[in-house]
Amino acid sequence: MKPAAFEYHAPVDPEETVALLARLGDEAKVLAGGQSLVPMLALRLAAFGHLVDLRRVKGLPGIEHRGGVVRIGATTTQAAVERSDVVRDAAPLLARATPLIGHFQIRSRGTVGGSLAHADAAAEYPAVALTLDARLETLSPRGRRTVPADRFFTGTWSTDLAEDELLTAVALPVWHRPRGFAVAEFARRSGDFALAGATVAVGLGPDRRIDRCAIAVFGLGPVPCRARAAERELIGREPTTEAAGDIADLAVSGLDSVPADLHGSAGYRKRVGAAMVARAWRHAVREAVHD
Amino acid sequence: MAPPPEQKAPVGRYTGTRVPRVEDARLLTGAGTYVDDVVRPGMLHACFVRSPVARARFGAVDVSRALRLPGVHAVLTAHDLNPGVHEQWYSLNGRDDPDTPRPPLAEDEVRFVGDPVAMVVADDRYIAEDAAELVVVDYEPLPPVVDYAVALQSPESVHASHPGNLVGQLAGRPMADLGPVFDNAPHVVSRTLHQQAHGPVPLETRGIVAEWTAAPGEMTVWASSQAPHEVRSFCARLLAVDENRVRVVVRDTGGGFGQKVMPQREEMCVMLAAVRLPAALKWIEDRQEHLLAAGQARHEHGEVRMAFDDDGRILAATLDHVQDAGAYPTPSPVRSGIAVGLLFPGPYRIPEGTFSSRFVFSNTSGRVAYRGPWQFESMAREVVLDAAARRLGIDPVELRRRNMLRHEDLPTVNCHGMPYDHITPYETFEQALEMLDYPAFRREQEHARAEGRLLGVGTCTYVEPTAGATPFHSTEGATIRVEPSGKVSVHVAGGSCGNSLETTVVQLTADALGAAIEDVGTVQGDTAVTPFGGGTGGSRSGSMTAGAVAETAAGLRARILAIAAHRLEVSVDDVEFVRSRATVKGRPEHGLTLAEIADIAYFQVHALPPDLPAGLEASGRYRTPHPMIWANATHVCTCEVDPRTGAVKLLRYIVSEDCGPMINPSVVEGQIYGGTVQGIGGALYEHLAHDDDGNPLATTFMDYLLPTATEVPVIELGHVETHGPGPGGHKGVGEGGAIGSAPAVVNAVADALAPFGAEITRLPLTPATVVGLLERSGAVAV
Repeated sequence: MKPAAFEYHAPVDPEETVALLARLGDEAKVLAGGQSLVPMLALRLAAFGHLVDLRRVKGLPGIEHRGGVVRIGATTTQAAVERSDVVRDAAPLLARATPLIGHFQIRSRGTVGGSLAHADAAAEYPAVALTLDARLETLSPRGRRTVPADRFFTGTWSTDLAEDELLTAVALPVWHRPRGFAVAEFARRSGDFALAGATVAVGLGPDRRIDRCAIAVFGLGPVPCRARAAERELIGREPTTEAAGDIADLAVSGLDSVPADLHGSAGYRKRVGAAMVARAWRHAVREAVHD
Repeated sequence: MAPPPEQKAPVGRYTGTRVPRVEDARLLTGAGTYVDDVVRPGMLHACFVRSPVARARFGAVDVSRALRLPGVHAVLTAHDLNPGVHEQWYSLNGRDDPDTPRPPLAEDEVRFVGDPVAMVVADDRYIAEDAAELVVVDYEPLPPVVDYAVALQSPESVHASHPGNLVGQLAGRPMADLGPVFDNAPHVVSRTLHQQAHGPVPLETRGIVAEWTAAPGEMTVWASSQAPHEVRSFCARLLAVDENRVRVVVRDTGGGFGQKVMPQREEMCVMLAAVRLPAALKWIEDRQEHLLAAGQARHEHGEVRMAFDDDGRILAATLDHVQDAGAYPTPSPVRSGIAVGLLFPGPYRIPEGTFSSRFVFSNTSGRVAYRGPWQFESMAREVVLDAAARRLGIDPVELRRRNMLRHEDLPTVNCHGMPYDHITPYETFEQALEMLDYPAFRREQEHARAEGRLLGVGTCTYVEPTAGATPFHSTEGATIRVEPSGKVSVHVAGGSCGNSLETTVVQLTADALGAAIEDVGTVQGDTAVTPFGGGTGGSRSGSMTAGAVAETAAGLRARILAIAAHRLEVSVDDVEFVRSRATVKGRPEHGLTLAEIADIAYFQVHALPPDLPAGLEASGRYRTPHPMIWANATHVCTCEVDPRTGAVKLLRYIVSEDCGPMINPSVVEGQIYGGTVQGIGGALYEHLAHDDDGNPLATTFMDYLLPTATEVPVIELGHVETHGPGPGGHKGVGEGGAIGSAPAVVNAVADALAPFGAEITRLPLTPATVVGLLERSGAVAV
């Protein structure tokens, strides 16, 4: 369980970093917290001639709340998110999803950008980004761009990032109040990747009816998936918990590439996914009603 | 029942108390010495090339590219290493026990995914792994025999030497003999239960460093082992080196659980390669290799039949049992496998019964010993007892009360000839139920069911043979030396792998001699300086080392008293020796310290009493007259099942056990906790699964799930204390936790699902499995 040899790079400047990535091409891999990449290297599931470590790159860590957006730098650790009052108040869904990531030792090293760019199908952060209509900020030798979350995740462990492109930050729009958020997931043990999970965000209008709604499931396909049909149904409705079962069924009904492994069949995962949607829906609605 | 005088617990200051562990200071500060901490000058590193397929023929292995990699010293194949095997057998089983094939490296055919084909030797493990990727093996796949349960009918043979894949079989009286009892019984309950493969997964994987010194022809081995002297004898026989020229050093071992009682094929390879190399060779197994190739256990199934009268009394019970041996079991499972059948009657009055056990090869990793290797006897019996209770409409606790052995039944011999005595199954059963408040739980369960919540309770009561006197395990030695300074060293064979054997031996020695515990240190695990011994295994160390220490200390204590009496000019009968100080009775100010006594023994020999030898050192060897010492316990567990996800949450976990007088309650509790958690893992989480092609599905801890602190409730302990017949009355306690726990958990889940008529037939009870049971019983929509 020793990685193949690689050359280690520790640039300090974002532009220098992407120039390095451009020069090294597909021989290079970006190393952030290393909580997924390093085990994959050790197991020789992956091998790269060059690792480009982001830990010294300036301007990448940090959390700020400005202009209705919470912006989190890519190398901000999950532990920093977990401790952040700004995140707790302005992006509660992200705050609540964070303790579900691995164990605290993992969160001390694991980063927000690493989790998003690694794009594990069962990871929490991609689902949170998708639910909150986050925008992902990138840098490449061609300049900066912003990618909406629903176009960022393209498949299992793959994203819209080019080889020489670096994820620099994620911007999460702050939802107006009253609002409610919830994340629910089911894992074999505390800290394991979820077999299935759901994130729900509900916003209420002045008439106390649902005027904004986002439901996403994760672990149930190569990428997290929004339940758009269910969301459309819910706009303009009274926020009630009674319909949770129907919403849940609708949310998982169209899924057609649900994984299966030692821990459960596709059918089992869909069933659990529906239970998680229902659970998250009830919690989010209760919170919105009392907000 | 008063024990005979020689069975009394030693009256001591330390035995029976929570002496802090002497191992803790080094282990908790990271100062332990495991095999990977051993570094030798110029040491080389090994990595194995392993089969990626479950069964294939292969021809020449192309090592040329690997050999060209800088830093690679050798790439060895079966052709290089296997002819070096001189003799290959284990002391535990003896030379004449029919054994199974065990080549160091695969020859011509690979027989499971992970089968070692070649060994790379390089400057470091990184280079060795790089080189391993360059070794080319041309595999010609053959149809694998993956599922042992159908292997007996397979046209394919795992080993050509064993057509039909049968390793061996054992049986009691013919099943047909019991035909009339079953035919005439008012009730017959029959169930088949399948248990999944587990891995013992010690925290420290396997590992070894072997260093050959050519000129005198000496081998030094640093091993991760439960039995250093077994490793030494094995190595000497393997290489045809005189046993007195092999030294095995085991300092700290991070868990063994039975897997490390014997060297396996990889260790053989390292020993064989070391004699060809100019420097020491180290192999440290990584976790993936470990889950692939270090062995499996618990993979078996059995059909149980029980006949009952109208009052729920058992008339007869039979077990038809089949066990997976994998491709290369260590050792042959046949001899030890008989315990499953012999112990199957458990702590119940079962007038008649029989069993049959078959051991079957498959193209998976080999079976190894695992904490309570016969555990399936309890799983099969206890799960079917609960099924029977549901069938008969009798509460499972009541059914057991009607059938369990009580004090007045003892001693007794079970229907397979096992002579039970000094056990308390019924007392532990009632104590555990009282700790739970069983009637209160049943009321709570009823209320919960009314709300649609699924609560369950399960029990398991077992009796277990400990300190079994197989030839290799029937003696244990100790050497105790009072050093010239008055400090005490006690040398025993050792083999501790987390079981606190150092603390135990220090406690026992301090009491047996009368020394202050802080004066006593112990040396274990180094065959050059310790007496021959069987190592840890079979829950033997408490009883056997208590015997060895008592045997040795008695004479030494008499010499200490004699020297003191002579110097103090009083009769020996007037001397007390407590906490390393000899005093004249009634005159505590008039005395000698152990240091002063030792000074006389070594440096003032003219002042010794006539006829007393100089020095203060003695060796002794205890030989147990008891074929085995029985221990027993009851596990009771409650759980809640989530019908939406199938998740099982354990609510309370209670163990009541009888291991006789405890040497150190903290150590006893640690053993019970650890074993219990392993059984919980076995019931709910751990599964060394393979797909239909024989590919392992759990090769990292992402998929081989061990229970962690968040999955395990507080374990509540109750003690019943009955003296066993051996030294100090102590009984073994190392394995029991892992025997009683899985059946109790399975029964708790079965009880939670009982309202739907769901019956458990396959383990583990993963959430998906539980949902499947609920779906099939119609309790939840598919």
